[in-house]
Amino acid sequence: MEFLTSAADMMKFLIPGLGVTISVTAIALAIGCVFGAAMAVLRVYGGPVARTIALVYSILIRAVPVIVIIFILFFVISEVIDLTPFMSGAFALGFASGAYQTEIFRGAILSIPSGQMRAARGIGMSRFQAIRCIILPQAFRVAIPSLINEISLVLKDSSLVFVIGVPELLRRAQYASASTMEPLLAFGCAALFYMAMTLTLSKALEAVEKKFAVNF
Amino acid sequence: MKNPLLRIENLCKSFGEADVIKGVSFEVYPSEVIVVIGSSGTGKSTMLQCLNLLHRPSSGKIFLEDTEITAPGMNEDHVRRQMGMVFQEFNLFNHLNVLGNVTVGMTRVLKIPAAQAKEQAMAELSRVGLADHADKYPAQLSGGQKQRVGIARALGMNPKVMLFDEPTSALDPELTGEVLAVMQQLAADGMTMVIVSHEMGFAREVADRVIFMENGYIEEQGTPDQVFNTPKSDRTRAFLSVINRMEGV
Amino acid sequence: MNEFIEYAIIALPDMLQGTLITLEVTFGSLVIGLLIGLPMALVRVYGAKRLQPFCTAYLTVFRGTPLLVQLFVIYYGLPEIGISFSRMAAAFLTLGCNSAAYQCEYFRGAILSVSKGQMKAARAIGMSRLSGIRHIVLPQAVRLVIPAWSNEFIAMIKYTAVIFLIAVPDLMGRAKMLSSQHFAPIQTYILVALIYLVLVGIMSIILHFVQKKLAVPGLDFKAEVH
Repeated sequence: MEFLTSAADMMKFLIPGLGVTISVTAIALAIGCVFGAAMAVLRVYGGPVARTIALVYSILIRAVPVIVIIFILFFVISEVIDLTPFMSGAFALGFASGAYQTEIFRGAILSIPSGQMRAARGIGMSRFQAIRCIILPQAFRVAIPSLINEISLVLKDSSLVFVIGVPELLRRAQYASASTMEPLLAFGCAALFYMAMTLTLSKALEAVEKKFAVNF
Repeated sequence: MKNPLLRIENLCKSFGEADVIKGVSFEVYPSEVIVVIGSSGTGKSTMLQCLNLLHRPSSGKIFLEDTEITAPGMNEDHVRRQMGMVFQEFNLFNHLNVLGNVTVGMTRVLKIPAAQAKEQAMAELSRVGLADHADKYPAQLSGGQKQRVGIARALGMNPKVMLFDEPTSALDPELTGEVLAVMQQLAADGMTMVIVSHEMGFAREVADRVIFMENGYIEEQGTPDQVFNTPKSDRTRAFLSVINRMEGV
Repeated sequence: MNEFIEYAIIALPDMLQGTLITLEVTFGSLVIGLLIGLPMALVRVYGAKRLQPFCTAYLTVFRGTPLLVQLFVIYYGLPEIGISFSRMAAAFLTLGCNSAAYQCEYFRGAILSVSKGQMKAARAIGMSRLSGIRHIVLPQAVRLVIPAWSNEFIAMIKYTAVIFLIAVPDLMGRAKMLSSQHFAPIQTYILVALIYLVLVGIMSIILHFVQKKLAVPGLDFKAEVH
């Protein structure tokens, strides 16, 4: 293996890991969004059984460290299907993020004035239609700042899937650290990459916030 | 005499221990304009929201044309498509522009194709005088404009009867005129309307019948002339004298 | 189910020992976070302009990178330039510095929420700026920060879960050993999840009562939870 001495070399080595990190994060967020929105709707509009299921999911998952959830789901999934660590990890991250997104969406839905639902029913929409066409689109906009925060959190938590062997940024850094005996360089560069990502995220999303500014 | 469009028989509504509506019965004939008056808290709004089943009546029956809409198993969404409601707080859909507010019901509920819906919506918006504002969002409109959009939205569903729940109460005085003018034109065009309102002048001018509600009952009803000028009940007299004092009559 | 209970009986003593370490690290890191975070918040709100970039840099580093990366940099990276920490020290330090970044922002938010009029009134009766901060602003800020700080407490219990990766024998560390010893990963980690559930539950209840006791009517503040 080449003797990587310069930071530039190190960065080049880490870049594939960057790609994996971003993919895992993106997939996890999408999964989390689906879980979160669905569970939030169940919590706000569901009958007693639906509400309890959603509540239990939300409380249980948020009480347990993400890494434990990753472990449990990894081992459970591997008993049932043959998924790559990448997919397994992305799903576990998404499943966990879903619980936090449930609370985000729930808060957003509850902040929509009750008159909106009344007006939607008033023109003859069914409850389902009203939720889908009137409540959720508005709730999503209200939720954007918190969702931005959640993106940043999931990005950082993506480093945890390295324990199940996903070749993301941290794992690559660890590999580099072990083979070059330069842990500071390796992990330091990884840290710089993360910082670059979170900073880009917050700038890009500040712009998005401005565009979709909630001016109700 | 034609058959009544709406028939309300002994409507009662309680919220927990509180009896808000204690047995209301009346009929609404096609193209009639009914104005319901009374002091605040007498159940007028609740009664109106029972008519389109936004509140489920505790007991009593409501008939739309010849169908009992309070019968168990009735599709409430279907019922509400046939009645238009205009709210005191407007309740415009904030994430949609004016055109979107009027078309969403047409496309999502009535399944009218988008192009046709747009045409019909623009027609309704012209009717209320807001065709130029089709691209604006609710946050950019004045109160009077918002309420007119609310009316257009309800009209877009082609309802058999329009229900107005204190449509001008949340408006600044200078803005009530534009809304009342729209409502007056609607009445002239033959729309059946049930209006809960404090606007006595409007009631005198436009109503075919006035219903005075007090304490969850209908205390008195009749033509505007009958109720305003020759009220039969003491309570009606008392209410009217307060109103007259307030209006400076 | 019986199998699970049998396993639980074998595994629990070890796990509970690990839990003690988890709790130790939780409390310790929170205190370190407080000792760094609160002064930093004061610097951010009241401090000189030239001190601000240092604070911003600190926050960017510790809030912009994953906890695990920070842990590895401190435990594996720093020895390269001569700074060595024991496992426990590295755990305390990393979690503490990380928490400090978030606690700084919570305190800053709370301090800024205390209305300017309070400081004006304090100066008007002749208090120095320092006195005003110490006797008027901070006592109110502390009450305002309680909800956010309670959340940080609960969150910390969960954050400690990664320190097993530098071989700290906490709950997760013991779990890993037990899991490979007994070839029972799912049961082990479900047990772990249950223990965390209990810990978080108990802490939530305790903090709820503490919050109630310390609450002053009229002072309410919702910080961004992380």
